[in-house]
Amino acid sequence: MQRRLRAVLSTALASATLATAAALFPAAETSPVAPAPAASTFTPEKPLSERVVAYQIEARLDTEKKTLEATETLTYRNRTGRPLDLFPFHLYLNAFQPQSTFLREVRQGSPDFEWKEKYRGSIEVTRLQVVGQGDLTGKMEFIQPDDGNPDDRTVFQVRLPRPVPPGGEAQFKIAFRAQLPQVLARTGTKRDFFMVGQWFPKVGVWWRGAWNCHQFHSTTEFFADFGTYDVKVTLPQGYVVGATGVEVGRQPNPDGTQTLAFRAEDVHDFAWTADRNFRVVEDSFAGGLGPVKIRLLMQPGHLSQAPRYMQALKGTLRLYDRWFGPYPYTQITVVDPPHGGFGAGGMEYPMLITAGTTWWMPAGLLLPEIVVEHEFGHQYWYGMVATNEFEDAWLDEGINQYVETQVMAALYGEETSILNLWGMTGGDARLSRLQYRAVPDTDPLTRSAYEFMSGGAYGAVTYAKTATVLRTLESLIGEETLRRALQTYFQRYRFTHPTEEDFLKTVEEVSGQDLGWFFDQAVRGTRVLDYQVRTLRSDRADWHLENPPEEKKGETLFRSLVVVHRKGDFIFPVEVEVKFDNGETVRERWDGRDRWARFGYEKKARVVSAEIDPDHKVWLDTNLFNNSRTRESQRPATRKLTQYWLVLTQFLAQCLAWLA
Amino acid sequence: MSRGEPGVVVAGARLVWRRQRVLWWMYAINLLLALPAALRASMSFGGVLNNSLAGERLGKGFDLTAFIELLAQPEVSPAQLMMGSVVFSFLFFVFFLFATGGVLEVYRRDQTLGAGEFFAAAGGFFWRFVRLLLFLLLALVPVGILAGLLSRVSGRLASDSPREMLGFWVELGGALLLWVLLVAIRLWFDLAQVRAVAEGERAMRRTVWRALKLTGANFGSLFWLYLRITLVAWAGLALAAWVWVKFVPAESVGLSFLLGQAVVLLWLGTRLWQRASETLWYQRRFPPPAAEPAPPASAPSA
Repeated sequence: MQRRLRAVLSTALASATLATAAALFPAAETSPVAPAPAASTFTPEKPLSERVVAYQIEARLDTEKKTLEATETLTYRNRTGRPLDLFPFHLYLNAFQPQSTFLREVRQGSPDFEWKEKYRGSIEVTRLQVVGQGDLTGKMEFIQPDDGNPDDRTVFQVRLPRPVPPGGEAQFKIAFRAQLPQVLARTGTKRDFFMVGQWFPKVGVWWRGAWNCHQFHSTTEFFADFGTYDVKVTLPQGYVVGATGVEVGRQPNPDGTQTLAFRAEDVHDFAWTADRNFRVVEDSFAGGLGPVKIRLLMQPGHLSQAPRYMQALKGTLRLYDRWFGPYPYTQITVVDPPHGGFGAGGMEYPMLITAGTTWWMPAGLLLPEIVVEHEFGHQYWYGMVATNEFEDAWLDEGINQYVETQVMAALYGEETSILNLWGMTGGDARLSRLQYRAVPDTDPLTRSAYEFMSGGAYGAVTYAKTATVLRTLESLIGEETLRRALQTYFQRYRFTHPTEEDFLKTVEEVSGQDLGWFFDQAVRGTRVLDYQVRTLRSDRADWHLENPPEEKKGETLFRSLVVVHRKGDFIFPVEVEVKFDNGETVRERWDGRDRWARFGYEKKARVVSAEIDPDHKVWLDTNLFNNSRTRESQRPATRKLTQYWLVLTQFLAQCLAWLA
Repeated sequence: MSRGEPGVVVAGARLVWRRQRVLWWMYAINLLLALPAALRASMSFGGVLNNSLAGERLGKGFDLTAFIELLAQPEVSPAQLMMGSVVFSFLFFVFFLFATGGVLEVYRRDQTLGAGEFFAAAGGFFWRFVRLLLFLLLALVPVGILAGLLSRVSGRLASDSPREMLGFWVELGGALLLWVLLVAIRLWFDLAQVRAVAEGERAMRRTVWRALKLTGANFGSLFWLYLRITLVAWAGLALAAWVWVKFVPAESVGLSFLLGQAVVLLWLGTRLWQRASETLWYQRRFPPPAAEPAPPASAPSA
């Protein structure tokens, strides 16, 4: 009942908001194909966030030249509690130039990467005025706070003649032109496809008592303040457009173009996409706050895969709604990039995500499902809980990856959540663990994204190790408790910029445990966790007799020995399960502090096996094969793999013999 | 064999069946040479799996992540395992090249040869076939260049063409074209070998040239012969894969082994079937000179 009431109320409020929006965008009234009224959030009258910024942007896209001409009005509300006279801005599109820090790092990570002129992107501020303070275009100054690379032009700052007082506002009026690159990383064009992300001058974030405005790096993503966006985009008619927020106006222009207006509230970024070829598939999800409109923008050749996207998205919405809280926006748009444009795929923006698939994707390979799940998850871990992706990437990517493994397991099965094809299986969580295994000790999770040893280390640690750390944390506090901790963290910090300490303290608070020892090793440290069963032995107690009696099951006494060994430097309490041939099972607990532990038994039974972590909860263990030991050899797996190898070798031999 | 001349493919199958000892010997050598590579794999895998309960994920199913983790173990070196397989495959290749002279002689004469005769024929043609192999490798160079070009073009189309599947179709069409080219070259050198055995030729350059003319003049019928037998091999592989996925339990080693060996035998058999059919085709085109009729027995005097 309450839920229905909320839905009715929100519908009414949405209508009211749209009426206002329509007044703001009179062109929409004259549009012959005006969209249905909509609001960006379910509570448009009550801001969900602090709304530090308000952007109004009008942009014209030249689809032939791949350029944008735009004007931007940014209203910045000074909520820092101190006067501000210096303002840094991101110009992300300038990363797509050969001497930028971004491309230098790309080249360092991939020496085979070749620069092509089509990758060039740029953004140029042609005018910058501050209302009441005059034209400050000449006072703009490029800065390179991270690496001092003088050729990097992804951040500029401007000093105002007069500071903005605490609680006051500054209104920036900016004109800029941008050249979109061919899709290389997240943003750009491919034939008729335009993914326009990180495309406008965006002010930095006043965070922890200072401006936070990093250069764009090959491994970094984004960080911005919450606010509202009113964006008008003019582009040729015939293009299908999707964007952050909801469409609030549409007007065909006499010159063959169309102008579409969007409004988004309580978001910290705005991205949009356009393609002549998009096929729109729409549906809705009955969320906790009301119906969420789902809009898939599909490539024609991928239409058969729309149900896969839709099923994954609805399943994810349902589980997030239940586990953490309702999705507060009224719409979510999923963009399916075209072939050759996958660089734009797998990316999150508020209320808009990009996915990725191919026409031939087999049903048993769940990549389209995973990417939709993952990017939607970012609506929570990045979109609402807006951590600093430059400095605390693990808090959004890692937590999101962990939840991804949980959601995928719930929807598609723990062991088949990424692969279930031709007798082969693979689980998402296991894949994460496998990726983490590759670089378990290079970097702590808490390292800034641009300071990792390599791009590979950034990916494996930030995404996969975090997911594996949280899986292991389940063994200490329980899966349900960890989920409650995440729920509390989400509810407490949504629409803010929490830090690593906020997250860790929330987990400790909800679990009621001091987990510092674990976080120091797993989160802030680089210790490696590897336990092994080193020795397993059973000897007859009467071994010394010259003529011992014949061995009788259940009567002969054995002395058994199990030695477990901590090979790595990560100390973690574990259980050890020892099985005997009379069916008896013993569970031991070992705190793991010493390098090894010995367990001895005197029983009328031989030991059969010993296993560390018998419930398979310690996912951080880098080697699962040495976690157990059996007294007698068990060869089924070896026989099976050997005969596979035999047949493969025979085939290889025949292929070669074809030349004879 | 042309479509108008049915029987060579069927007769080739019968010939392989009649002289199945050749097939069994080839299979046995193939198996024997693969065994050391498999044994090495067994020791590597066994060192990790045999006393570990974690092996269940591979024994009772096939968890790909577990297999990758297994390959990452220090006891298991995928590069060394692969090298072992390549070395033993190369030995089989050398043996096959050596035995081809004997095999073709068996098929030409359609009679079982003793070991001495077989190896004499094999040894007699070995160095001639080595020279043919060098010509074959030369002929494959332009195919390799073409494959590289095709890969670049189709890759570019797959990325840049407005039609998503164009790159795929170009790749598929190009792959088919390359396959036809490879078959043509293989047929050419198959015929060169058949001719060398049939005519006892020693000048391999002349043999290559004549086989080229012969293949060119009869490409349709020869290709049709080759294609039908190849389809049998691929259909058998597809059927076995289907049976394996659908009906063979993941933990069953025996059934899986039998199925795998059946496919190996089928593929070997179809290759020999092609060689037998080509031999028969050549014999029908160029029948061996008829033997001198035996002088009539003199009638007993009355």
